[in-house]
Amino acid sequence: MTSLGGSSSSTTEYTVRVPKNTSKRYNIMAFNAGDRVNCSTWTQARMERDMSARRIYGDDESAEGAGGSEFGKKQRDEARRRKYGIITKEFKAEDQPWILKVNGKGGKRFKGLRKGGVTENASYYIFTQCPDGAFEAFPVNGWYNFTPQAKHRTLTAEEAEEEWGRRNKVVNHFSIMLQKRFREQERGGDDEDESEKTGKKKKNIGRGGELHITDLEDDLMMSSDNSDSSMGEDADGKSKAKKNVGKGKKKKRKSNDKEAVEESDDGDYEGLEVDYMSDESSSDEEPEKGKPSKTEEHLKGIDEASESEEESEEEKPNEEEAKEEEEEEEGKKTPVQTEKKKKKGKTGLIKQIRTWAKLCVCKKRTPPKRPSGRGSAGSSKTGSRPGTPSIDSATTSNTLRAAASKLEQGKRQNQGPTESPAAKRLKMDPSSQSPAPSGKSTPQPPSGKSTPSSSDVQLTEEAVRRYLIRKPMTTKDLLKKFQTKRTGLSSEQTVNVLAQILKRLNPERKIINDKMHFYLTE
Amino acid sequence: MSEVNLNGVKQNKGVWLVKIPKYLSQQWEKATEKGEVGTITIGKKQGKTEVRFSLSEELTARGATGESDASLQVPRHHPLTMHTVKGQTMAVFSQTESEISLEGMVVHRAECRAVASDNYMKLKKLQIQESIKPQRFSQQLEKAVTHVFKPVANHSFNVAYQKKKKTEGKMVRAERQVVLDMLFSAFEKHHYYNIKDLVEITKQPVTYLKEIIREIGTYNSKGKHKNTWKLKREYRNYESEEEKDEEEMQTV
Repeated sequence: MTSLGGSSSSTTEYTVRVPKNTSKRYNIMAFNAGDRVNCSTWTQARMERDMSARRIYGDDESAEGAGGSEFGKKQRDEARRRKYGIITKEFKAEDQPWILKVNGKGGKRFKGLRKGGVTENASYYIFTQCPDGAFEAFPVNGWYNFTPQAKHRTLTAEEAEEEWGRRNKVVNHFSIMLQKRFREQERGGDDEDESEKTGKKKKNIGRGGELHITDLEDDLMMSSDNSDSSMGEDADGKSKAKKNVGKGKKKKRKSNDKEAVEESDDGDYEGLEVDYMSDESSSDEEPEKGKPSKTEEHLKGIDEASESEEESEEEKPNEEEAKEEEEEEEGKKTPVQTEKKKKKGKTGLIKQIRTWAKLCVCKKRTPPKRPSGRGSAGSSKTGSRPGTPSIDSATTSNTLRAAASKLEQGKRQNQGPTESPAAKRLKMDPSSQSPAPSGKSTPQPPSGKSTPSSSDVQLTEEAVRRYLIRKPMTTKDLLKKFQTKRTGLSSEQTVNVLAQILKRLNPERKIINDKMHFYLTE
Repeated sequence: MSEVNLNGVKQNKGVWLVKIPKYLSQQWEKATEKGEVGTITIGKKQGKTEVRFSLSEELTARGATGESDASLQVPRHHPLTMHTVKGQTMAVFSQTESEISLEGMVVHRAECRAVASDNYMKLKKLQIQESIKPQRFSQQLEKAVTHVFKPVANHSFNVAYQKKKKTEGKMVRAERQVVLDMLFSAFEKHHYYNIKDLVEITKQPVTYLKEIIREIGTYNSKGKHKNTWKLKREYRNYESEEEKDEEEMQTV
């Protein structure tokens, strides 16, 4: 290195060497700036050639001289190809793409395609600086452009065309991928039984896709290669899956129905939202509302829903938790996961249960019936009865059971909110479902279930009124009063009916000992 | 060759990607064993960073070996224009027979420019003249080439063929057992044979051969191996998987 002083400019000189004897071949690995690849964060990387094109290129290497071979097959094939003038390009291993896997199984995958024409007119060299200050120049052998590979499920061209055709009709876009996964699962039906759990995982992940799309979820999605291997990779999804086993199934059913043709009059719903939102809850609810617009369809025809919204706005603090609880309830038919319980608000909970139940009911409605529902928007208590009451109660019963069990346990827990994704998910769910069913089940259950067998205590509005006048009570207390053995109703039915009664009564609320109590003054 | 050696990026090694004109890289190939080809000068002139590459003296000759032919001298000084790599993340990986390793990240891109000297212009002119020459060209022939096919009593090829036939004579029927042995040994090598190939192998007349093969083998009229003969199941003793698959399929 020499430096020339004595002038205003200073220069430093370095020698350049071109090593001759290296067996190393240098290549460029180019990424797109938008992918934000930071090589220094890689802990581990594996790279190999993608040889999948070999079989296409012929030379199947099917047994030569071994089983199933013919005498003189090669020559005959060669002669045939010459006769027809078929020229097949050789399979050059050097030109095959690279597959780069970073950070093991859960990390990113890249495909590196060789860029042609790089070394034709100019040569690229890599200049590295050696410790002694000189530069060493290595010629670049090849240039590979690496692009990240999607792990989540994508639609094929045909499917995409299909969905494009239905874009104006389908409002719930998340269920598109859900459906696709379901279809794939059906096709690979043999595995379903043996991997029931994994099947559920799949469904749940689909359900996850339906409820909310986070980056985390996408990373957890199965790779496009192989559903079996992808299940193995889906370790993270498992934890979520376990939590939402039943939910997934439920969601699937619902989504199938939602997928039906619906008018998307987006403008119609805008006004509705504003009324219901209170200051506090609106920020939470709006994102939820924004996502599945399907909820808005249900909102449309059902005045009950609108009413429930108005009421719920009064119970801002409880609503969140209640919604979250409700979500959990739907998902879990069996023991509730305590970790998900948040602050318990019984009234909010009941409302949510009710609204959610109504949503279930609503879903069973066929599309044509929706306009009729719309017509009944004016009446509050006397909505049109849906055509399938029995089914409705059936659907609600499962989740209501869960809801009821939650109610019992709910009081014990006073935890803070859990991780945001769970919270978000839970919020999503009730919001999607709560408005809808609320409208429907109010008219229905009273009629459907207002025939308890002869018992001492009847779950009537009058009874509830009496209790509430006497002294303030929490929802749990109320439930205790109307025990299932006495009223002859199942616990879910109890909850449901109670919820409706409370709604009708519209009692005042007071917080005593950190618990929401209802009371009436006559 | 799977696991990638990440030492280069871990140490945050930065490299330059430099584009060098073809004539220059050709000169570099003539470098000595030591590999020194020139020097890079990095200077600051009036606030601007200037990078220049100077070719070593001995490599300026564009002739066969180090003679400094005045008319064909490669220019010595080449400024390098530097660019940043904001728009693209590039890494360098090297590949040997046994290992792939990530050498480092590209921090700068540079292009080696040439100064427009007379020398350079001459060089370029030569290059252009060479590349302009078409690959295909027309050439005048002295004598017109004509293939005239004269009528021939018998073509030479035919004559040869008939002679061959005569010398070989008709195929003689060998003993049945001998033929069977030949067939079995042939079927050991391959599973399927064309009747013509079998004739060639056994040198037996076709009708005779057909009789024999009908005894021990069957004819594939359709399927993958069309119009071929294969041995009957009871004579077969293949150990291959395909054989097993075939048998399985048969039994199922």
